[in-house]
Amino acid sequence: MLARADSGRQNPGEYDAGLLWSSLLLLGLGLVMVYSSSIATAETLRYTGGRTGFFLTRHTTFLAISIVASLFVFQVPMRVWQQLAPWLFLAAGALLAMVLLPGLGREVNGARRWVSLGIITIQPSEFMKFFAVLYAADYTVRKSALMHSFKRGLLPMLGVMLVVGWLLLREPDFGAFVVITCIAMGILFLGGMSGTWFAGLGVLLAIGFAGLVVSSPYRMQRIFGFMDPWADPFGRGYQLSHALIAFGRGEWFGVGLGGSVEKLMYLPEAHTDFLLAVIGEELGFVGVAAVILLFAWLVLRALAVGRKAVSLERPFSALVAQGIGMWVGVQALINMGVNLGLLPTKGLTLPLMSFGGTGILVNCMALAVLLRVDWENRALMRGETL
Amino acid sequence: MNFATSPVLDLRLPLWRSRLLLVIFAAGFAALAVRAAYLQGWNNDFLRAKGESRYSRVLEITANRGRISDRNGEVLAMSTPVKSIGAIRDEVKLDNAMLARLAPLLGISGEDIRKRIQSTESDFVYLKRQVPPEIADRIAELRIPGIFQNREYRRYYPGGEVMAHVLGFTGAEDSGQEGIELAFQEQLAGKAGSRKVIRDRMGQIVEDMESIKPAQEGKDLILSIDAKIQSHAFSQLKAAIDENRAKAGAVLVLDVSTGEVLALANLPSYNPNNRAHLAGAQLRNRVLTDTFEPGSTMKPFTIALALEEGKVRPDTMIQTSPGKLTIGRATISDAHPLGTLSVSQVIQKSSNVGTSKIALTLTREDMWEMFNKSGFGSIPSVPFPGAVSGKLRPHNTWRPIEQVTMSYGYGLSVSLFQLAQAYTIFARDGELVPVSFVKNSGVVPGRQIISAETARAVRAMLEAAAGPGGTAPKAQIMGYRVAGKTGTAYKQEGSGYSGHKYRASFVGFAPVSNPRLVVAVTIDEPSAGKHFGGDVAAPVFAKLMEGALRSLGVLPDAPMQPVKLPAESERIEESI
Repeated sequence: MLARADSGRQNPGEYDAGLLWSSLLLLGLGLVMVYSSSIATAETLRYTGGRTGFFLTRHTTFLAISIVASLFVFQVPMRVWQQLAPWLFLAAGALLAMVLLPGLGREVNGARRWVSLGIITIQPSEFMKFFAVLYAADYTVRKSALMHSFKRGLLPMLGVMLVVGWLLLREPDFGAFVVITCIAMGILFLGGMSGTWFAGLGVLLAIGFAGLVVSSPYRMQRIFGFMDPWADPFGRGYQLSHALIAFGRGEWFGVGLGGSVEKLMYLPEAHTDFLLAVIGEELGFVGVAAVILLFAWLVLRALAVGRKAVSLERPFSALVAQGIGMWVGVQALINMGVNLGLLPTKGLTLPLMSFGGTGILVNCMALAVLLRVDWENRALMRGETL
Repeated sequence: MNFATSPVLDLRLPLWRSRLLLVIFAAGFAALAVRAAYLQGWNNDFLRAKGESRYSRVLEITANRGRISDRNGEVLAMSTPVKSIGAIRDEVKLDNAMLARLAPLLGISGEDIRKRIQSTESDFVYLKRQVPPEIADRIAELRIPGIFQNREYRRYYPGGEVMAHVLGFTGAEDSGQEGIELAFQEQLAGKAGSRKVIRDRMGQIVEDMESIKPAQEGKDLILSIDAKIQSHAFSQLKAAIDENRAKAGAVLVLDVSTGEVLALANLPSYNPNNRAHLAGAQLRNRVLTDTFEPGSTMKPFTIALALEEGKVRPDTMIQTSPGKLTIGRATISDAHPLGTLSVSQVIQKSSNVGTSKIALTLTREDMWEMFNKSGFGSIPSVPFPGAVSGKLRPHNTWRPIEQVTMSYGYGLSVSLFQLAQAYTIFARDGELVPVSFVKNSGVVPGRQIISAETARAVRAMLEAAAGPGGTAPKAQIMGYRVAGKTGTAYKQEGSGYSGHKYRASFVGFAPVSNPRLVVAVTIDEPSAGKHFGGDVAAPVFAKLMEGALRSLGVLPDAPMQPVKLPAESERIEESI
């Protein structure tokens, strides 16, 4: 293969190095920042036993497991994923249902998002994001001829998504619901669904969201906290006001790694949902801009890989690649938007960076699939057969 | 692209939709970058100010209060570090379990702690001050958010009740409330500094925000007090009060040449380290704040004036028979008729009649001036809180009988401090020495009140008064010649005099050949049978003077012979 690489003028290479490196950089920076932002918390919380490295050890372990898992996932051909897609989606749905079963689901801070499987605890909604991409891509490819039929093209998908959405909102996990809805709609959009329906669905969804927000005081609160955190800075606006202070303190170049004051028990969820605020404080605008650029590059590459797959007449791979790009992109956009006070507080982690075992594992697996699509694209371009 | 021939036709994956998504994402990320730049580059003054108000705090750096030591460097008052425990209202997180652990450590009920935190107007409140370091450490281990500790100092007085009235004490804010602590507050206190710090949510200091303004430490103070003599004075006074079942008492020891106060003691006293149950009587510094009618201790001043004006000489004979003298409607009397006495003997035997007759040769103005120059009737010039002037009425209001009674110490009031200082006139060849509570470097010049010759003459009379044949033979000590005068006065009660309540005093100095110390003793309401100054106060003087002279290493000026006390039948009873 090396010989071929040397000889070919337009050698596409074996894999997308930019994609791989941007992912690894995000993972690495995430590890450093998770440690930095969690030291004070780990020292204070009771269940960590006061060990400052509590979250570092865990996060490192998750990363190791995730990378090993990704190497295996990379070996799986896209054709196999396509065959498994409905079954994986069903399994994820079952897991989501398990969360709600008493005895299996674990409740933390008033939300039942975790399920204990023997020695490990997983967050099924993260798996659902991944498998929803696969399922929606497979569905679109299978029903591509019916994309203009309301009854046979749109309705089945709508029904499935309503069930999943209902399960997610029962937890409640509004953030995952938004992300999965975006993924499904995005893939249908890319899959050629009628623009008119799409617009109509968009309006309907907007009304639906608004209804949900108004009907639940808990979500109302989150909305108002985001509108003006300084109106009630010690109540509803507490978390956001501290996040904004963190960014302000960071200025252009940051207070230096480890120098954050906000992480010293002021900013809740500093190592998970509000990791970007700590990055902003310690590494300044430079650090925040780097993270934004890395995510933007990742999304750009994912969409490009997808379009390449389109041109290679591999619709499933194309939709999966773009679905993964949208997933990471939407979740990163929402999380960073929340941190910067542009969006209401959601309870979404920063993909690839925030602390959280299932999230990291599923993100890494998804990126492995994305790299696989790219690898298969390049193999086909080289004239190889899969 | 030719859709009719392309398999992609069926799939309909329009590439423009993918590009549209790309544009939307790019716009989203760009919006994030702009927002971040706004927060971090432009609006950060507002945000940093908000941040500072959340977690910066100005801490006071308490200045260490100066130490007080005696003239030989023995520490009399020092500050030991303690903690104050406070709460920041908006940040306190106290569940009931924590409260149950905190309350016993602070010694405040959990309910009170909550009330105190909630009722505060400012953003923080002290829960308890002056907490010992080991208790403070245990509170710190609880790691309660919003509960903080400040370093402060607690004043400790090793001398306890012995030094109480000299030193006074400090209050909650470490400021002097009484005595030297109050008098020298400014010098001792120093100036608190401050530091602006960032604290984490648990109240731990993370870093300094600006340079620390260091505290100016208080200056140390070296007193004139000699701890050994002071302790000796206190125990002698205590013994005398117990023996005579007296209500109260006070002693003062002055260095004649330097004017330094070597000892000042009062009873009843108190323990300045534990002031939980304090009564006003214990707090009173009787030496400076109590005045009384001095009685016979005033006679030497009248005689000195008469000698100075040449009205009499020491050997001028005065007829005191029949021991009574009638002026207007009042009659002055001696305890026993004493016959014809020389002026010296008038002092030695303490004859009221003799003194009165001599006083009648003097003018009111001159007497007032003599008393006034000697320091009576005006506040002594020592920086001591609560020092009083006593009462010396203007001479133009004196009636003739009052001029006479004042000559032997009735109708005016003085403090023991004034009396002791005034006696330096006789101990120092006519000079009144300024008195100091702070250690001096050497001999201090005094103010000439009477001539040296007169002073020496009175000194000789006072030596006789303190010897056999005088009113206070019990003032004698082995190895030193002593001089001094008793005073026994009825106590005033309402407008008249109580017939059975006395104040017994003795003021004297030694060694007579070169006086070094003035010692003044007063015992209030002795009630164990004896009430004369010569019996009650003079023995205290003797023991105190002897101990003090020996401890200072003053050379004896008399043969080392046991003191001879006259037989009971020969004793001279003082006229009251």
